[in-house]
Amino acid sequence: MGLREYVVRRIFQLVITYWAFITLLFVLFRAAPGDPTSMFVMDGMDEESRQEIIADLGLDQPLYLQYVDYMGQLLSGSFGVSFRYREPVWDVLVIKFWNTIFLMGAAVICAYVIGVLAGALLGWWRGKRAERVGIVAGLMARSSPEFWTSIIVLSVFAFWLGWLPSGGMRSIGAEMAPSFSARYLSTDFVYHLVLPVMAATIYYMATPLLLMRNTMLDVLKADFIEIKKAEGLSELTILYKHAARNSILPVVTMAAIVTGTAMGGSLVIETVFNWPGMGREMVEAINYNDYPMAMGAFFLMGSVVIIMNFVADLLYVYLDPRVEYK
Amino acid sequence: MSKLELDDLRTYYRMEEGWIEAADGVSLSLEANETLGLVGESGSGKSTVAKSIIRLLPDNGEIVDGSIRFDGEDITELSKRELRRRIRWKEISMIPQSAMNGFDPVYTVGEQIVQAIRTHESDVSKAEARERTKELFDDLGLDEERVDDYPHQFSGGMAQRAMIALALAVDPSVILADEPTTALDVVIQDRILGTIKEMQDELGTAMVLITHDMSVVSETCDTIAVMYGGRVVERADAETIIKRPKHPYTLGLRNAFPDITADSQELVSIPGSPPDLLEPGEGCRFAPRCPFAEDRCWEETPQPETHGDGHVVECHRADEAEYLRKEANRPETWRTDD
Repeated sequence: MGLREYVVRRIFQLVITYWAFITLLFVLFRAAPGDPTSMFVMDGMDEESRQEIIADLGLDQPLYLQYVDYMGQLLSGSFGVSFRYREPVWDVLVIKFWNTIFLMGAAVICAYVIGVLAGALLGWWRGKRAERVGIVAGLMARSSPEFWTSIIVLSVFAFWLGWLPSGGMRSIGAEMAPSFSARYLSTDFVYHLVLPVMAATIYYMATPLLLMRNTMLDVLKADFIEIKKAEGLSELTILYKHAARNSILPVVTMAAIVTGTAMGGSLVIETVFNWPGMGREMVEAINYNDYPMAMGAFFLMGSVVIIMNFVADLLYVYLDPRVEYK
Repeated sequence: MSKLELDDLRTYYRMEEGWIEAADGVSLSLEANETLGLVGESGSGKSTVAKSIIRLLPDNGEIVDGSIRFDGEDITELSKRELRRRIRWKEISMIPQSAMNGFDPVYTVGEQIVQAIRTHESDVSKAEARERTKELFDDLGLDEERVDDYPHQFSGGMAQRAMIALALAVDPSVILADEPTTALDVVIQDRILGTIKEMQDELGTAMVLITHDMSVVSETCDTIAVMYGGRVVERADAETIIKRPKHPYTLGLRNAFPDITADSQELVSIPGSPPDLLEPGEGCRFAPRCPFAEDRCWEETPQPETHGDGHVVECHRADEAEYLRKEANRPETWRTDD
């Protein structure tokens, strides 16, 4: 089977996964406790007007009709109207979504670059004191809750050294630039981005670090490593071009999962650093029974995970020539 | 001057309980274009000797004494960097047991050979190195097009040929071949050995062939060194070792392999198991398994002695070789009472 067919199959799988995912979302929200009309119900509202609201929202329809409606909406790219903001969900969410993507995207990339390089080094340093120090540091980073790491990072860099702002996404008074690129490429934005990214990086770095070290230990036992040493290649070449390159596959698989957790876990970082992201929006949406908004947020987060898995699958073909196209 | 000369090499492994004396006073020499067979069972120290030569010992391994002279220069004294740049692959290369695992699976075989060439000959361009790789493939009976294949796309025999191409890539003067054909079936094995021999004659390369297979060494080697318990117990030219061995272990080893020219033959194995090399102390290491052991074998370590024309034997009873050979041919000799 050729590469093209492999990609087509993966795309087909992607569609199926998406369908299962949005169906699950639909079922989940219909099964969830709570009353969607609570947002609209005011004191002294009589039963008749309540029924009217329910009919207005389409909630009096039988489930299968609601499902068809819902699918139709999604296919046309609409998430409905937020109960709380009385605005299209997409308009509210898209800004928060990008805020979170920039925050967590940067953090996951940093975590992976540092984690993979350092993890490879730890495996190479097997049995040395540096390896033990690295493992302890990795485990500490992994076991410290994000909010705690954030607080430490904040107290050092924001309060003690005073180098970086303690929260928010822009300086007070800074104007919100109209264009997308101006908004996210401004120095002010990056300035505010550093600390939350640092806190998240410390937390998410440990998984690739420890995983990388473990696979390195296996790869370093392989015969070809000995041959490469005998060939007289430099240690750096053997370490990164051969050993690390062979150890990276499970780490790539894990990347899809870690990205998912990072998107979901962005809530804590966003709260500590007062970052107007999607994690916070999602929790608020649930608190306010703002179902369309919550569903939209879930949908975007789930999409990131599904797409990351798809990318990882494609990346595998490039990374491991032994992957059979099936 | 020999190409490669090991003198009283001692390589030990550090363990919690003490030192494992894996190679304990090994002396060998290898001339240019010669093939030396290093024979012995697992754990006899033959791989340790090879790994000491190219200095690829595990972290707990250490050359504690002795010298390894390459063209007269003691390479145990060289710094790691020096060794890497001047000796490894350029002068001494190796062929591993399983060629399939000897290549990095994520790069094509060609890329890896090109890399080896360009590491040692920095003035060679990528295209030139690739041309040379193709020529090597051609010489070794591989299709030139296969340089762009990944290791997993090769069969076992093909991979071994590609490995030989890698080993010969920068024209070394010595090749260490650690059981290069054990993973292959007999027919392929024979062809590969033939190919190695051909290339060797063409390039004048010397080879240390490590194996536990007597039939392989008898066909391929000029001289044979038999190792037991970290020591070379007997060495001589191949014919002498095969036809007129003197050491009881060599005699036993010969019995354990079938002679295809004989009508029928009972295979007789040597009873007992390899010795524990954790600080073994005085005495012949083969004594516990030797049917001819006397009192002094247990007390005194035999020293290598020359018995005419480069035949070196480490046995107190080597003088009685005629009698030992006769006795060793009888299967009853090797049977233990229990």
